[in-house]
Amino acid sequence: MVTFTDFKGTVKADWCPGCGNFAQLTAIPMALAELGIKPENTVIASGIGCSSNMPEFMKAYGFHGIHGRSLPAASAIKWANSELTVIAYGGDGDGFNEGTQHFYHAARRNPDITYIVSDNQIFGLTTGQASPTSRLGMKTKTTPDGSIEPPINPVTMALNAGASFVAREFSGDVKHMQATIKKAVQHKGFSFIDVFSPCVTYNKDNTYDFFRKRVYKVEDEKHDTSDFMAAYKRATEWGDRIPIGILYENNDMTYEERDSVLNKPLIKQPFTKVTEEDLLEFY
Amino acid sequence: MDQNEVIVRVGGAAGDGVQSAGLIIARVFSRSGLYVSTYNYYQSIIRGGQSWYQTRASIRKVKNQGDDLDILVALNKDALERHTNPEINEGGASSLKGIVVYDKSVGEFKKFDGIKYCEMNLGEIAQKYSKNSLLKNTVAIGAIFGYLSMDFEILAEVIRDQFGGKGEIAELNVRAAREGYDTFVEKFGKATKELKTPKKKLYLLAGGEAAGLGAVRAGLKAYFGYPMTPATSIIHYLASHEKKFNVFVKITEDEISAINMAIGANYAGVRAMTGSSGGGFALMTEAVGMSAEMEIPLVVYEAQRAGPSTGLPTKTEQGDLLQVLGASQGDFPKAIFSPRNIEETYYMIGEALNLAEVYQIPVFFMVDLYLAEHYETVENLKFDFDMKRGKFATGNEKDYKRYEFTEDGISIRALPGTPNLMHNEDSDEHDEKGDVVSDAVTDPLIRRKIMEKRMKKLEKLKKELPPTPSYRLEDAEYALVQWGSTQGPVEEAVDILRNKGIKTGAIEVNRPYPVNPDILKLVKGKKKVIFVENNYTGQLMRLIRSELNVEADLITKYDGESFYPGQLAEEIEKKIKE
Repeated sequence: MVTFTDFKGTVKADWCPGCGNFAQLTAIPMALAELGIKPENTVIASGIGCSSNMPEFMKAYGFHGIHGRSLPAASAIKWANSELTVIAYGGDGDGFNEGTQHFYHAARRNPDITYIVSDNQIFGLTTGQASPTSRLGMKTKTTPDGSIEPPINPVTMALNAGASFVAREFSGDVKHMQATIKKAVQHKGFSFIDVFSPCVTYNKDNTYDFFRKRVYKVEDEKHDTSDFMAAYKRATEWGDRIPIGILYENNDMTYEERDSVLNKPLIKQPFTKVTEEDLLEFY
Repeated sequence: MDQNEVIVRVGGAAGDGVQSAGLIIARVFSRSGLYVSTYNYYQSIIRGGQSWYQTRASIRKVKNQGDDLDILVALNKDALERHTNPEINEGGASSLKGIVVYDKSVGEFKKFDGIKYCEMNLGEIAQKYSKNSLLKNTVAIGAIFGYLSMDFEILAEVIRDQFGGKGEIAELNVRAAREGYDTFVEKFGKATKELKTPKKKLYLLAGGEAAGLGAVRAGLKAYFGYPMTPATSIIHYLASHEKKFNVFVKITEDEISAINMAIGANYAGVRAMTGSSGGGFALMTEAVGMSAEMEIPLVVYEAQRAGPSTGLPTKTEQGDLLQVLGASQGDFPKAIFSPRNIEETYYMIGEALNLAEVYQIPVFFMVDLYLAEHYETVENLKFDFDMKRGKFATGNEKDYKRYEFTEDGISIRALPGTPNLMHNEDSDEHDEKGDVVSDAVTDPLIRRKIMEKRMKKLEKLKKELPPTPSYRLEDAEYALVQWGSTQGPVEEAVDILRNKGIKTGAIEVNRPYPVNPDILKLVKGKKKVIFVENNYTGQLMRLIRSELNVEADLITKYDGESFYPGQLAEEIEKKIKE
């Protein structure tokens, strides 16, 4: 049996006390343990940012790469060895700035990986600059007069790109998040979870309180996760009421299912023997 | 015409079928048992402009496209005037000294002395068989093989292969070629000398194909790339053979993704590589350092074209050496390979893949447009391969440390999926276990030790370098230094000069980095050392001189064309006499 503590790393997480990331550090191992997935078969791939330090604090196979590039690495790790459970993890700066096009293309390709974004609407590691999800008018070190760029909506972006599983969660509700992560990992294909994960140090706008007052669970309102337009409508909801939970899910074929070479894990395939016959086309 | 060899050029506009005509000609020669080397001159347009395809065929091994043209097939008036005009010196090739075959529809044009003009009704003959105007190329191809008295059946076979078997189109082409063959002989007669055609089994392939096939032979399981000339020939070859070889080929959203994927796949234990040209490689730069820092094997196929920036997309140059050498911040071990010809490309890519895994470092496999795209015959290729993948943990190791400090700096890899050995591989600086030392409390001692651990691999690499190859160097008074694809023209220039009594020889650098100190021994006692490079500043010379005390002269070419042996020999002679 796999337990939560099997995933407990030896390095103590050094995020600020109260950081939303701690909730994910709990919810991810809980979900994996419940699914009986062993740490040795789990890869956590990340980019750069506060949240991207996650692989350092978990006992699993960690791939802590470079800013914005967790998804290409995670996709290829899955393609190399499809028996692994691959989770890409990072922040909104990492995923929706430098990683934007990887995000979009990973979503349309539909590799069987899970992408969890700790979305705190700010740059934390570089001490408080506006991020692609910072709200219009938000004052930060780089936007002293308030941000004049409208924020990206990661959830509609994922839907547009063709992601086959799209969800939103909130670090203030670990249990709910854990259940969604469990479903995301079980889902065959690219599953995306945008997690409102408050930055207690640099974001004074989008606090735990801010979200607690506003979030509601879509399953309480008979939301149909197979209805793309309904999902899109919920995804654009913002203001007094903000939905969390699984917004959309479909059963599209995964990239691995579409590519015949990937039908078996690449790592288990024998090396190809080149022979004289392979030269005949050059005769 | 030299008894032993013939040089044929097909000239026309893009869209005239220059390249496919050139390839048919080249294949007929190689299938006849003649050694072949080709050169494809084209522009970055799909229709119009000027392009030409040169094929040199010989009973001896040829390593470049050669100088003097014997036969020209001119597909339009511009090509006819351009390649016969002694004043126009395309890329350094001498103009025609033999025959030119062209269609009479070209009308009035300028004629030059010393050329036999063979005007034919190519278009009229072609129209008997098909309305497709490209069929006149087939008639012209038939004509030149009639002139050379070569076995028509081999031509017929190549045409059938080209047009997919014995269908109607193939047969129409064969008949059109036959009429061209006979009509030419009837009207203009045959060449006075006949090329011998030894019965040798030769294969004709381009560098990109050789690299692809060589990589598959060496256990490649995945290739990630983004289309950029001239790194496309390897992609096309691998993508079209994906199922046959069971090699995963992924064209990505950009080069950044491609290299991160290649690193990801290698991390998970699959032999994978990526590739691009200078512009795309520039985008890959950051991840190169990640491969080094995380000690994940990586091979990058870097196919150079003339820069800077978009530069000359379809022209050759050796201008990326220092870019590749300097790619990514910080000091780290790396290796650069530069195969000298197509056969070496086939073998060396395997060495690069082995080296990357054994040392767990980034390895760069540098070719250029000329090497990636030109065709050359190879014979007796070996298929067996001595795969070396380095050390892997099984899961039973006690106190496993991913980056354990070892004598030679190489530690044991534990692939994801291995029981008990979970750890983190990090682009942040880390300790032996992989735990990060960069954030909360930077540990200067560990930082020093892990840097030294990685750099030990460079020391080991240096120790294990094979001797730098050379050509006719022993008794040479003058040493030429070349790298990569210029081997062909440089060796031939050496021969030309030696025939004139000037004792030259060549040092052939096929592993530019780490710099091999044996170069010092090779240049010892030479009256002059001259670097020959397809770039402006002599990048190999600058690299070698940054590590070794070598006095040197430099001959460069940066017009987008490869060297031509005759012209190069003249330049070397001038340099020697300076």
